[in-house]
Amino acid sequence: MEAGPKGPEPCERLKWAEALRLAHKAVTSVTGRCAENRYTMREMAALPLAASAGEALVLGLTTGPVCLASCGPVVLPWMLVQPKGIGPHSRQLFLFLAARLAGYMVFAAVAWLVGAAIPRAWSGRSWAYGGIELLLACALVVYAAGWPRPGRAPSEPSPRPSIHLVQIGQTPRPRPSGAVALGFLTGINLCPPFLVAGVRAAQLAHLSGALFFFLCFFAGTAFWFLPFLSLGFLQRTPAVVTVARMVAVLLACWYGFSGASLLIERIING
Amino acid sequence: MRRRILSILAYTGAALTLVVAASVPFVLMGVFSKAIAHAGLHIDAAYSGGTVARTIDRGGYKIVVYQPVKPRLLEPIEPFVQIVFEPADALPARMNEEIDLDGDGQPDVRVSFSLPSDPNAPLRGDVAALNGKYISLTDMGGESFSRMVVRAGKQIVVRIPLNRDSARR
Amino acid sequence: MASPSSALARPPVFRSIGRSILLTLPIALWSLLMFTPSFRSGGRDLAIGAVLVVVFMTSLFFLMMRTGETYRWRRIFFVALGFLFPVGFIASLIAERGTMSIPISRMVSGDTPFCFMVTPALILPAAFARTIVFPGSILPTASNPHSIAVMIGLWFAFTLVLGKAWCSYACFFGGMDEGFAAFGKRRRLHRFVTKYGSILRLIPWAILLCVVLLSAALFEPFYCIWLCPFKTVTEFPAVRDLETALQFGVFVTLFAGLVVVLPYLTKKRTQCGFFCPFGAFQSLFNKINLFDIRFDREKCFDCGLCQTSCPTVALSKESVREGKTLLNCMKCGACVDACKKDAAVWHLKGTPVGVKPERARLLFLYGAWALATMFGGSILANSIATMVHWLPLK
Repeated sequence: MEAGPKGPEPCERLKWAEALRLAHKAVTSVTGRCAENRYTMREMAALPLAASAGEALVLGLTTGPVCLASCGPVVLPWMLVQPKGIGPHSRQLFLFLAARLAGYMVFAAVAWLVGAAIPRAWSGRSWAYGGIELLLACALVVYAAGWPRPGRAPSEPSPRPSIHLVQIGQTPRPRPSGAVALGFLTGINLCPPFLVAGVRAAQLAHLSGALFFFLCFFAGTAFWFLPFLSLGFLQRTPAVVTVARMVAVLLACWYGFSGASLLIERIING
Repeated sequence: MRRRILSILAYTGAALTLVVAASVPFVLMGVFSKAIAHAGLHIDAAYSGGTVARTIDRGGYKIVVYQPVKPRLLEPIEPFVQIVFEPADALPARMNEEIDLDGDGQPDVRVSFSLPSDPNAPLRGDVAALNGKYISLTDMGGESFSRMVVRAGKQIVVRIPLNRDSARR
Repeated sequence: MASPSSALARPPVFRSIGRSILLTLPIALWSLLMFTPSFRSGGRDLAIGAVLVVVFMTSLFFLMMRTGETYRWRRIFFVALGFLFPVGFIASLIAERGTMSIPISRMVSGDTPFCFMVTPALILPAAFARTIVFPGSILPTASNPHSIAVMIGLWFAFTLVLGKAWCSYACFFGGMDEGFAAFGKRRRLHRFVTKYGSILRLIPWAILLCVVLLSAALFEPFYCIWLCPFKTVTEFPAVRDLETALQFGVFVTLFAGLVVVLPYLTKKRTQCGFFCPFGAFQSLFNKINLFDIRFDREKCFDCGLCQTSCPTVALSKESVREGKTLLNCMKCGACVDACKKDAAVWHLKGTPVGVKPERARLLFLYGAWALATMFGGSILANSIATMVHWLPLK
């Protein structure tokens, strides 16, 4: 799909709702469902953006399982340590996804600004990927830390509430900072579909186009995270919460090892 | 009354458990095994090499070309194409063959190896890529699931990694 | 080998010899039925192994009937299985390919024998992509009779009967840490295990969830590649680079720590109770199994002997007060044999607790011992045959 004509001012002035409507029209016209395929001048100027949005949405939907495989192991234990109930879960998932979207937007801006330099920067991806995995591991450990002290009754409050999110016997108090940190770090995690989306976004004519592309890509991938809401129905026994925290620590060990070995391999091989 | 009914059910269940235990070696294990075998499952392509694309008959031996295998989700393998030479006993002592992998009529790789007379001796070979789609291998044995020239029973298995850009297409 | 709780256990209640023989008869006949083909066509070595196993299994069952105890006699079989399985297995590897390591060529030809411990990791890829992420073969072949279909079929049939008692009567790995736990009498780190037992027994569940998630994400048998301690005494991917060397180091470290050192120090089955994700997975089947162990609250006076004797910390004060074990109970019988007041009893779900517990015990043991004879007994027979083969006998 080629980038649109240079400096089409009507594109930038279009409202997002209209752009989405046109995206839908573009996609349906491609599938042959739309009987008439006529556009106004304004619509023709917006068509590349709309088509890009459709492409981004489809890209997000089809590569969502990869995102789920990459980010799901982070989300699952995190959601399990939240209190039972759809309300708390929805809030935490919303915060997580919002932070993930922020990470997407940051990457979209960087990708667009770097533009054609992305292929040359490809070899630097290992550094970024390894570093992000190490940060992710640290974030998982920080927000899963806080075992009960020996001899302390389960119902006693933690002495360090700022990082002791969970104790056996107590339902945890949701910490927005945890959702934000984990969401942002998974948002900038350079998994393969993310990079493909980045390369495509960099080819668009305008920064707003790149941001909108990633917004639609995000929407496609976020769809795959909706089933995590069902965890809100799971009973939060102390054992479930403890296991979730252990899982977070174990996965942090894996992410840390994976990130460290990537960085070490880059250092050795150059 | 309820307790009595429950007890009867419990003892009936226990008796059935004994029947199940006695039938395991004669009936049950076979039934479950056949069910698994007919469940439509297949071994991951990273291990099995994927599905056969076509077979090239060379008279005494065959060259089986497989479909390209791409990593699933975050699977830590490179995309590759598998070629199998079989049977190993019928192969010439020195193999040097150009093979068309994608069926476009043009050779894509040149595979060369020398078969040791001892079937248990390690095998090493070279693969020269004739276009940019594939990655050449030099003095390759069984380094990874994506890069190998190995003897597996009566077959010689060669796996050639794909250039990632061509694999994405 | 000394039982860690032998000083604490109640004295055995003896059944008459005649009655014990009568109760043992079905198992004796079953053993003969299972091993008759080995007598006839297995060769001299296998025939010797089969005879010894028939006598061994029948004798142990007789002693179970005679003394009314389960744990002590079951443990003899289980430890023998744990230590003799590697003997036969490693010998067959050496005879076939001269090494315990699996070359990559065998993995791509589907010749890797399937191990039931990888079963939980296969579920998600199989469910969503119809893909088995294991380098084996679905159907048995001449070079790989232990195919995926056969082994999963066997495991599922066993699990229907045993539930988590698989870990006490079938798992050929569990006998190793149970054996090392039986060495010596002095229990060290007892306070640590008592204090943190409620956390330690949750670790297998966390490992199970991690293994399932990472296996699905990476499309590989994560436990086999990174975490299995028993690779040390069976077979392992050939060390060909730094990564495989690191993996081998992890296997050896986990084996030394969880299977040898910690069981010796704590007198607990630390690998099984505090690590094994397959054990956690198997615990789920306790929910549908008909047999369990319960506590008669009218007899129990909360001495804690049952908790001390349990090898996998499957009992807590709270659970005993509620009259039951935790989900990870392996039905080994240690608590029942240890209880001096006969408050811990075998139980058939749906029947009153403490009413005819011996009947529940017999019904359970017949099924469990029959399967143990069939599966574990055949492994023992093969291992004995291997040892007999290598003995300098004229």
